[in-house]
Amino acid sequence: MMYKIENPYRPIKAEITEVISETPTIKTIRVEPKEPIIFETGQFIELTIPGIGEAPFTPSSRPAIKDIMEITIMNVGKVTEKVHELKKGDIVGVRGPFGKGYPMDSFKGKEILVVGGGCGFAPLRSLMYELFDRSGEFKKLFFRGGCKTPQELLYRSEIDDWAKRKDLDIKLTVDKGDSEWKENVGVVTTILDGVEMDYESGIAIVCGPPIMMKFSTKKILDMGFKEENIYLSMEKNMSCGIGKCGHCRIGTYYVCKDGPVFTYDKIKNFSNIWD
Amino acid sequence: MQYISSSNFAKFLENLKSNYDVYVPVKKGDQCFYKKYIDFTDDIVIGEVRAFEPLKSFFFRAREIVAENFKSDIPHAIQKPYCIVGVKACDLKGLQIQDYVFENHDYQDPFYINMRKNNLIISADCTSTIDTCFCLTLDIKPYPIENFDINLSVMGEYFIVEIGSQKGQNLVEKYSYLFEEVRKEFISQRNEYRKKVNKSVEKNIKENKVPHQDSFKDIIERGYESDIWVDEANNCVECGACNVICPTCHCFLLYDQKDKNRMARLRIWDSCMIKDFARVAGGANPRPELWMRLRNRFEKKFDFFPKVANIYACTGCGRCISACPAKIDIRKVLKRLVYDV
Repeated sequence: MMYKIENPYRPIKAEITEVISETPTIKTIRVEPKEPIIFETGQFIELTIPGIGEAPFTPSSRPAIKDIMEITIMNVGKVTEKVHELKKGDIVGVRGPFGKGYPMDSFKGKEILVVGGGCGFAPLRSLMYELFDRSGEFKKLFFRGGCKTPQELLYRSEIDDWAKRKDLDIKLTVDKGDSEWKENVGVVTTILDGVEMDYESGIAIVCGPPIMMKFSTKKILDMGFKEENIYLSMEKNMSCGIGKCGHCRIGTYYVCKDGPVFTYDKIKNFSNIWD
Repeated sequence: MQYISSSNFAKFLENLKSNYDVYVPVKKGDQCFYKKYIDFTDDIVIGEVRAFEPLKSFFFRAREIVAENFKSDIPHAIQKPYCIVGVKACDLKGLQIQDYVFENHDYQDPFYINMRKNNLIISADCTSTIDTCFCLTLDIKPYPIENFDINLSVMGEYFIVEIGSQKGQNLVEKYSYLFEEVRKEFISQRNEYRKKVNKSVEKNIKENKVPHQDSFKDIIERGYESDIWVDEANNCVECGACNVICPTCHCFLLYDQKDKNRMARLRIWDSCMIKDFARVAGGANPRPELWMRLRNRFEKKFDFFPKVANIYACTGCGRCISACPAKIDIRKVLKRLVYDV
């Protein structure tokens, strides 16, 4: 007798409809899944390159758009290397969504600080659009983003549009500027000072490379944010997506099913969370 | 309780063959291995100790295809359910852990459930011990008391039959002409045999000074920064034998066949002792050192599982002790964690 549980390891067929070069090492692929995949911002998917393998990514697109998904991917491994060779019309596979995203409803009426670093802009882009779509629900919205150089800044033209929004206070920084860079130079923690919000009750959301997450979290704690109000998006070796394969465990959690978004209080006592 | 002669038990198994793929422990050298049942040959050993291979291998296959070409069905054909004979108490606990992981822990795994569903477990008392047995440490008796359909206690040419489930009950009723009511003196004799084996495990535990699981609470947290891990991992060769032979280890690797035209996703048993187990594509690795991975293995069994499922993920079967080429002894690690930290 056959159990009627869907096969969680099967990818859904999806077609590449566009490939956008963001930076020399980062591309965004736009995919059209052949069956609907509805995700909440912060949840992740597993992207299959047929004949190569799969890897976890958090979509960078607006969750409200249901038929198309965008995934922004840095060329760092054997799957992502192949992603960078993809062309319009190629077929890939998508599994998911998996895990728990940002609890948007619990942000209602709050002041929100979003801190992004480098490739962390990708999942945060999805979050920002969700926040914009529900703009009236939140008291204040801040975005503080940093990356190494102006060339590596993702979604430049979109961010210029964000800067014009009345409901957003935005500041950017780069580690190393160039002649055209007019904004701050320095690591992202240098632009966290002076964010005009009530730290005691505010929400902080951090996403970026481990080292950036570590120092940003430290800074945000020093500013007076509560541990349970700091949302971190953890990057571990998520594979099965349903807490079975064991690869992404931290402490008593599997990042794939219990995360990837965790509040700091939940994970602070586990070792090597930033590694 | 019932009673069955070995010749009638052979008939019973013969009947089961029409609905089950029947597997029995067969002796080869000084170990038993599960083999498909054909005839009740002399090398079939119902008693003695656990088989060489862990029971999980029947339900959570070492290698299986889990997806093919975007198709939504479950790829492998369901053959007859397994009937496994001679399963020992330690392996029943191993199955409890696997059941928790694949059936209950928030999400269900259809492959495991398909394999596990409808199967029949005919367990048996241990009639001897080997020097790596330490089940009593984990509060497991060397004879099954739960989680079986039918249990056998070897009594020379006969078996005492205990029923553990409705499924077992139905089968014994269906073939009632093969069984007879057990005589009282046999039960007291069985209890004597059980006591004897129990004593033998106690002796093992005493000789190796293995602490009881009641003293395991917080040993990982207390010993987290201890130098025990570096010390114990010193000779580890990162072979992963402890993982594959362990009845509770469940980690796997999803692996795609390198053929663009025929996509097939396999899952194969994986080992948390291997360096890249938790490494991410960007290069970050939370456990770059071998001793960290050894600590993680113990953390999973003696900290994670008790916290999430209220159970220690160790059965005292001792397989990892025999399998380790570096002679890392789980009993010694536990002893050091309890007494030396």
